[in-house]
Amino acid sequence: MKIKIISLIFALTLIFVMNLYASDIIPGKPQNKPIALVGGTIHTITNGTIENGIVLFDKGKIVAVGKDVNIPKDAEVIDIKGKHVYPGLINAFTTIGLVEIGAVRATRDVTEVGLVNPNVRAEVAFNPDSEHPPVTRANGITLALVVPTGDLIAGQSALMMLDGWTWEDMTLKAPVGLHIYWPRMVQAQGFGFMFARQSPEEMKKETEKRLQLIRETFQKARAYKKAKEAETQKGVPYHDTDLKYEAMIPVLEGKVPVFVHANSAKEILSAIQWAESEGVKIVIVGGADSWKVADVLKSKNIPVILTNIHRLPSGRDSDYDEPFTVAYKLYKAGVKFCIGGEGGYYNERNLPYQAGTCAAFGLPREEALKAITIYPAEILGVADKVGSIEPGKDATLIVTTGDPLEIPTQVIYEFIQGRKVDLSNRQTKLYEKYVEKYRRLGLLK
Amino acid sequence: MRKIFYLLLIPALMLAQEQTKPVEGLRDNPPKVYALTNVKIVQSPEKTIEKGTVVIRDGVIESVGANVQIPSDAQVIDLSGKVIYPGFIDLYTSYGLPKQRERAQTQQVGFQQQQAETKKGAENWNPNVLSSKLALNEFAPDQKEAERLRSQGFTVVLSVPQEGIFRGKSVLVMLADGKAPNDVVIKPAVAQHIAFIRGFGRDVYPNSLMGNIALIRQTFYDAKWYASAWDAFSKNPSLQKPEVNSSLEALQSSLKGEPVTFEANDELDFLRCAKIAKEFSLNAWIIGSGYEYRRVDAIKNTGYPVILPVNFPKPPDVENPDDADAIDLRTLKHWYNAPENPKRLNDAGVTFAFTTYRLENPAEFLQKVREAVERGLPENVALSALTLTPAKLLGLDKILGSVESGKMANFIITDKNIFDEDSKILQVWIAGEKYDVEGMPEFDPRGEWRAKINNDTLNINISGQIKNLRGRVRSGNKSVNLVKVSLFDNNLTLAFNGDSVGIKGIVRISAFVRKGTMEGYAEVSGGERFVFSAVKISEPRDERPRQLKKVKFESIPVTYPDGAFGFSKLPEQPEYVLIKNATIWTCSERGKLENADMLVHRGVIEKIGKNLEAPKGAVIIDATGKHVTPGIIDAHSHTAISGGVNESTQAITAEVRIQDVINSDDINIYRQLAGGVTAANVLHGSANPIGGQNAVLKYRWGLLPDELIFKEAPAGIKFALGENVKQSNWGDRYTTRYPQTRMGVEQIIRDAFKAALDYEKAWNTYREESKKKVLIPPRKDLQLEALLEILKGQRLVHAHSYRQDEILMLLRVAEDFGFRIATLQHVLEGYKIAEAIAKHGAGASTFSDWWAYKFEVYDAIPHNGALMEKVGVITSFNSDSDELARRLNLEAAKAVKYGGLSEEDALKLVTINPAKQLRIDKYVGSLEPGKHADFVIWSGNPLSTYTVCEQTWIEGRKYFDRNEDLKMREEAKKLRDFIIQKIFEVKSSARPQPQFATQPN
Repeated sequence: MKIKIISLIFALTLIFVMNLYASDIIPGKPQNKPIALVGGTIHTITNGTIENGIVLFDKGKIVAVGKDVNIPKDAEVIDIKGKHVYPGLINAFTTIGLVEIGAVRATRDVTEVGLVNPNVRAEVAFNPDSEHPPVTRANGITLALVVPTGDLIAGQSALMMLDGWTWEDMTLKAPVGLHIYWPRMVQAQGFGFMFARQSPEEMKKETEKRLQLIRETFQKARAYKKAKEAETQKGVPYHDTDLKYEAMIPVLEGKVPVFVHANSAKEILSAIQWAESEGVKIVIVGGADSWKVADVLKSKNIPVILTNIHRLPSGRDSDYDEPFTVAYKLYKAGVKFCIGGEGGYYNERNLPYQAGTCAAFGLPREEALKAITIYPAEILGVADKVGSIEPGKDATLIVTTGDPLEIPTQVIYEFIQGRKVDLSNRQTKLYEKYVEKYRRLGLLK
Repeated sequence: MRKIFYLLLIPALMLAQEQTKPVEGLRDNPPKVYALTNVKIVQSPEKTIEKGTVVIRDGVIESVGANVQIPSDAQVIDLSGKVIYPGFIDLYTSYGLPKQRERAQTQQVGFQQQQAETKKGAENWNPNVLSSKLALNEFAPDQKEAERLRSQGFTVVLSVPQEGIFRGKSVLVMLADGKAPNDVVIKPAVAQHIAFIRGFGRDVYPNSLMGNIALIRQTFYDAKWYASAWDAFSKNPSLQKPEVNSSLEALQSSLKGEPVTFEANDELDFLRCAKIAKEFSLNAWIIGSGYEYRRVDAIKNTGYPVILPVNFPKPPDVENPDDADAIDLRTLKHWYNAPENPKRLNDAGVTFAFTTYRLENPAEFLQKVREAVERGLPENVALSALTLTPAKLLGLDKILGSVESGKMANFIITDKNIFDEDSKILQVWIAGEKYDVEGMPEFDPRGEWRAKINNDTLNINISGQIKNLRGRVRSGNKSVNLVKVSLFDNNLTLAFNGDSVGIKGIVRISAFVRKGTMEGYAEVSGGERFVFSAVKISEPRDERPRQLKKVKFESIPVTYPDGAFGFSKLPEQPEYVLIKNATIWTCSERGKLENADMLVHRGVIEKIGKNLEAPKGAVIIDATGKHVTPGIIDAHSHTAISGGVNESTQAITAEVRIQDVINSDDINIYRQLAGGVTAANVLHGSANPIGGQNAVLKYRWGLLPDELIFKEAPAGIKFALGENVKQSNWGDRYTTRYPQTRMGVEQIIRDAFKAALDYEKAWNTYREESKKKVLIPPRKDLQLEALLEILKGQRLVHAHSYRQDEILMLLRVAEDFGFRIATLQHVLEGYKIAEAIAKHGAGASTFSDWWAYKFEVYDAIPHNGALMEKVGVITSFNSDSDELARRLNLEAAKAVKYGGLSEEDALKLVTINPAKQLRIDKYVGSLEPGKHADFVIWSGNPLSTYTVCEQTWIEGRKYFDRNEDLKMREEAKKLRDFIIQKIFEVKSSARPQPQFATQPN
């Protein structure tokens, strides 16, 4: 009896642990023969829409796209008549894989201690067996930029494919950017009844201190780079390693851009001014007020990853649709932009609906679609691999029942580098389990 | 006791003043009889004597008039050219009281600790109820503060304790120096004072505004009970003795008409205070905020007098356009309109008395009052608000408030009309004793003098203020400013550089001023001394200060609410509205109708069908290509709550009420109207197993809090289970409040219901038995009454819940107590026990797809809603978020995606289903004849992400219109720009503000 209880407890614990830490969804098999998707509407993004077309891919790469494509004999032909093919959607701002359950501290690996962490890398903490990638990809999100968060220099992001056995398999590109959360330069409006905020003076002081710290860090990194370069010369002593500055060398060399998280116009302009004096490439992430400085962004060719489209307007007087119209305004001004997610981990699947909202408030629908496919691919530096349906690119694509920006649309097939991805997940399994319960009770057919 | 005190007061002043303290040394009996003559006397706001005399004897005005016989024993003071006003009274100061201390209860003490603390005295259980405190016992005259207040014309002030919610009783005192409190106190206990406090931490009840209000109400009910309990005990001493409670004892006089003040932090707070005052028939004065003009009619209708601050804001910093963007129109408008607050209140017929309270620098008080006068407040009303009105409120207008015989000799002497910008207060008299402000020297040195030093003749002109003189010396056509001019008693110091006027070196003069002459000596460079004499050749000219360009302020009307997107008036309700050619989602059995019309008559749906005839005068809306749906109902919202969503201190707070703290000005109401929301179930938070009472609102933007309430909606209450109530994610410090487990959650709920039943029994027993003998009545307990209403089926339970175990537990508890849970909120594992929920008959109000933010929601699935609906649970999707509420139509679409509901059934999740859950489906939730005309016009299919909400109507009134919205944006921009220009005008014409050497606290 006792043993029974113990083993029961053990079994329960096991289930618990498995539920918490392991997804039992098996990654897709490497593509071992050509696949042809036949008869669907192909939304290539970059080369228009092909009705009743064929997409052929092999060894993980797209081979041909069009109406007249020679399908090899050994190819697996999938009839998708009446369905639609799109490139896999790309979410350019998430923390997927770094957080499992927000309130459970043990499952959070997203913010390292301290203000200066240029060396930390998102991909190495990405949990391949998290429940979130399968849930997210079920809605057509194939790639997610996984971003460390923090109060200042937070670390390096990685672009992850949402299917695979290990983080190494799943990394499409890393590092993508060095992320700096720009100090707040505008006091939030209003006062809560319960809690006093930082006074404007305190905020100003703190901001100045942090801006100074960013400058100093780059200054020191430059000095470090110089010292390291010099140490190869005769007579120059070896300089001890500093991981932080070491990690910044590719940034100083212009190989890795700085992703500046900034929302107010003042913050964005401050970041631009800094980047110019520092001579580094930047991408603005957030960009709530980017429309106010669109001409500057345009003239300096600085791209923007708009995030959190579904948010409240910034101030009491702001237009109720202010967050929904930023994308349209940037589009009109000719600024390079994409629509990113919310920096979250559990509902990043809703990215296409954020793009949909932008379309409802002015952005042309095809632009909205580009804003979650080819534009993020360009901004993240992977447009040669993903973001559109073109021969030579990764066979990372989705087959849907309709417009992915419309909520009722279902994703019916998904391929990541040609691997057919399992669209079931923790949630569909729980659903099926309880559908079965009600079937047995005679409450459902 | 107090009554006797006054009766004695007046005769005592007429005779020699008696004192109880033994005399030390020689007796001091100077004559105290004065006649102030040849003076303009503003006796009261309505009565002025152009030239007359005031006779004062022993601190009391003996006579006033144009032709008064000057008593032969009087010292005569000639005040030609001067003006006398009654002394000012401030009814809300902290004069002479200790500055507010950091109280133990405001620090982060553990809740249990607070309970366990050894209690001293017999005050109330709650540390914020300090009603028995007497300011009198802590009062000590404060010379510096008195001087500051006198400089603004004040002679008498009410000193009010500053701590707690119930703060205790104030003391009325004179601002006289050098006297014992015994002599300066006029009335020892004037009023009880109440204020809402900010909560500190999560430990001490209350930490929310609604908790404040609940505590105030319960305490007054307790005070009533206390009286009846002791009354019963005195009649029947064989009963068990009731508790002694000095705090409740102290409130007895408040219940009998002694004034009670409430501090209102804005115009909506004012209405909250008034409601409490009305509930207990209090003689209330409400301490204003300066925002009253925004809801002046509602404030007038309360009927309560206002103690009005003149805290007109400084011009905001709008120089940096980025920073200026962070200042909203509401704030800009307040800067513009605040100085008109007194005028608008007066125009509306509100009684008010001015106070220095809320002024950062009380030295600006008079200047601010003058600003109010400049902005249209009549001078006599301003004067009244400083004198007679406060005197009447105190019930002391027999001795205070005007310059009339028999009253205390409290008055102000000025050099001219006190409301003139450059007028000066020269002296303040309090109880017949004079205090210099600007001062009135025996001989005024100001004017033009002809002076002789040795052989030189010079002209000296002295001007400025007595305490800040300046001057210039002239000889022939040469002149130079005096380096120094100062008067000490009658001794005048003058110094100037003689070189400029033909005398070598620095000239220093010490002279004594007399009427028209000066005599003294001058010392010149080299130490030589000469006789100095001077004769006044002319009196000073009336000095006009540099005439500043006055900034003109045209009146800007308020909108409702004030600021951007407010309405200038309530949206109209046309007799008939006819919507033509729309796709109408009726959310009823009629389903979706294509090319259909809907006729609305006086806010009610009359007909839905094809080709409806337009009645005469109907407003016709062509909705070809548009979709019309019922207004969206959000079954879980925290929008429009002021002062905290949670009363998170205690595990059970059934007594707190959202209806007390509705913020009708919350811009999120408008933003949600723009997403098609017309009604919301506004709930208390989930910090406690039994939280506060909810309020179902209709989003009637622009109306007052009470007018937002959905009157037909039954009462309800928030319950909560799981991680939040057991404080799982509150931090490591929170491990002691019961309950800490789901087991404890069940027990505390059962315990509360049992207590409610016991409470009912106690009342029934009392009602029965007290017919036969005198008994102590049970205490009216607001918490238990709310719980009892649940058990009687009069109050709907909306229970925050996640896991299937806790959901089932609550259903079973409810069944044990014989009632039904109205809605399970969130209910993310509802899909696991949908059959049990359906059988119980509870509704389920869930999120479409949230999950994994905490452990108890790891099993949440987006199919939850559809699955529950299919198994027979009435299901809705809610927002729990100001933002998500704007897109509930799209949330509904997720039930099509996950779980496969039809589009029509999906839309019901945010229309008729929440209406059913809230028991308001008779009125709203679907488009059917007889129901409220609450509807939305969409640009397309409401479940499409590409669709926008174009119009939102409630009861046949259009509260949102996208085209109107675009216009309002432009108007707001224009007004913003106009006010920013004004700010610049004012800043460029500003002059230095008066400053004290030390800033008052």
